Amino acid sequence: MSIILGVLEEGLVYAIMALGVYITYKILDFPDLSVDGTFPLGGAVTVTLILAGFNPLATLFIAFAIGALAGCITGFIHVKLKVRDLLSGIIVMTALYSVNLRVAGKANVPFFNVNTIFENSLVNRLFPASLSSITVVIILALIVLIVKFILDQYLKTRSGYLLRAVGDNETLVTSLAKDRGMVKIVGLAIANGLASLAGSVYCQQKGFFEISMGTGTIVIGLANVIIGTKLFKRVGFVKSTTAVIIGSIIYKACVSFAIYLGMEASDLKLITSVLFLAILVLSNGREKKVKA
Amino acid sequence: MKKSVKIMLFAALAATLTGCASGKSPESTKETNATNTTAAATAKSEETKAYTIGIAQFAEHGSLDNCREGFLKGLAEEGLEEGKNLTVLYENAQADGGTASQIVNNFLAKKTNLICAIATPMAQAAYSGAKKADIPVIFTAVTDPAAAALANEDGTPVGEITGTSDKLPVEKQLEMIRKILPDAKKIGILYSTSEVNSETAIKEYKAAAANYGFEIVEGPVTATADIPLAADSILEKVDCLNNLTDNTVVSSLPLILDKAGKKNIPVFGSEVEQVKIGCLAAMGLDYVDLGKQTGVMAAKVLKGEAKASELNFEVIKDAAFYGNSKVAETLGITLPKDMTDTAAEIFTDISKGTK
Repeated sequence: MSIILGVLEEGLVYAIMALGVYITYKILDFPDLSVDGTFPLGGAVTVTLILAGFNPLATLFIAFAIGALAGCITGFIHVKLKVRDLLSGIIVMTALYSVNLRVAGKANVPFFNVNTIFENSLVNRLFPASLSSITVVIILALIVLIVKFILDQYLKTRSGYLLRAVGDNETLVTSLAKDRGMVKIVGLAIANGLASLAGSVYCQQKGFFEISMGTGTIVIGLANVIIGTKLFKRVGFVKSTTAVIIGSIIYKACVSFAIYLGMEASDLKLITSVLFLAILVLSNGREKKVKA
Repeated sequence: MKKSVKIMLFAALAATLTGCASGKSPESTKETNATNTTAAATAKSEETKAYTIGIAQFAEHGSLDNCREGFLKGLAEEGLEEGKNLTVLYENAQADGGTASQIVNNFLAKKTNLICAIATPMAQAAYSGAKKADIPVIFTAVTDPAAAALANEDGTPVGEITGTSDKLPVEKQLEMIRKILPDAKKIGILYSTSEVNSETAIKEYKAAAANYGFEIVEGPVTATADIPLAADSILEKVDCLNNLTDNTVVSSLPLILDKAGKKNIPVFGSEVEQVKIGCLAAMGLDYVDLGKQTGVMAAKVLKGEAKASELNFEVIKDAAFYGNSKVAETLGITLPKDMTDTAAEIFTDISKGTK
């Protein structure tokens, strides 16, 4: 049971980030590496603010805003300074490493015994002690659902449609007399805001900030998006955003399962990738059957 | 349709499970043992009682591996032997924070009697997860437990967590370098900005260096990939290099030793393993001993003689001198006789590998 809860906790946190990657990678067709920097940025901002006595809930919004700002910078470098997409992400990701160290002050900042969104008087009142083991999952699920709902609504607005149009057909956007550069910047801002929000939630749940926590974020994000969208490609009534969230949980389940098998420690990553491959190939096989 | 996708998925997982787990069946029988003992872990111990512990190690390198080896030795000294009355689950996070917390979750799910966390980020992940589950955590190789919020400033535990610290004997190390290199002025230290342990150590070195007439030249790196460039640049500026217990830098030590050797610049280590592979000398820790000390503490907690929350964290009291005569010969340096006479160990060869 606790292993399932563990998977849900990890999966849901990364789902927030994956929703961001979904916007850049799937909708905008922009491989944005800056999330490797904005995920820990959210964490750095969060520990600093929480230790300074800020409301943990407020830090979520601030983390989102600061992450969005970083996303704007990636967008600005790409759109206005005409740097290639991959490279603008790398530039921002690299710069953010130093920024994160500056913001947090140290490479590792613990804050075990302070109020967070998971541990405060309101949460203790709302959830009886008997539910304490699933409190974290409930709160996380709530956050993820809110984020998903807002994102779904946004994608239905004018600005949301433009966002999707830029990924599919840039010329169309120009012909509508809209600045496609601006649309890209908006997309990157939302994506990195979400990555930063995920970093904030991650830190509040774990109780410490660690500078290396961002390493490989984009890899996890891409895997989540691809697993999710691939599995639910043919299932019309499942929204892509939902698919991404489920994809993230499956990703973490694979890692957890590989650990659970208790193989040699050094083989962990190999087992994990074999599991992914199995899932992807299986979903492929299914598609063919449907076509036939 | 959705249902069939799910079925496929579970089938895939199940297939992998049976495929991978077939050779691993003894574990499941031991697991039942573990659940039985958990409830009674703090109760009076009996000779026949069996325990399951989870060892979670943050990264893979000599020092941390020695910690783990020593830890098991320490437990064995107290009568808890792997395979007899002790089941050991070992996982390595390969320096990845996300994996670290999943390893902890896995141990919690398997209801181990105790979690041994090796290195700071692992200890924090373990404490963060285990404090709700009421499973004691014993850490080792944490340089500054108070700064990592794993202990109070006065050394008392913050919860069901205690262990050992690998704080470096900075003053003794500087004294040793002065004795071996009477004319040296600048000591270069490579360290990674992502490791809080190293930052603490750098501060101490900077504060103490002047007392011995040294100046510290910092060589910060952010990742393994930066090390070749950082080493080249720092070697232009210094009389010798000094190593911390920085995980990133220690993992690349052979490369640094090679570069320093070409310029005939001595490199000092901080523990026995580093001297073995080619550092000139160290006033340092033996991580096997540190692990042993940790194992003894863990045994106390397992047997119910003391709760983790009642034990203050410990440090190794005496630093010992380790030297490498082969390296000294190559560099044309003679190690002072009074030091070699009292040395814990003098290596006469450079070990090529640890296997």
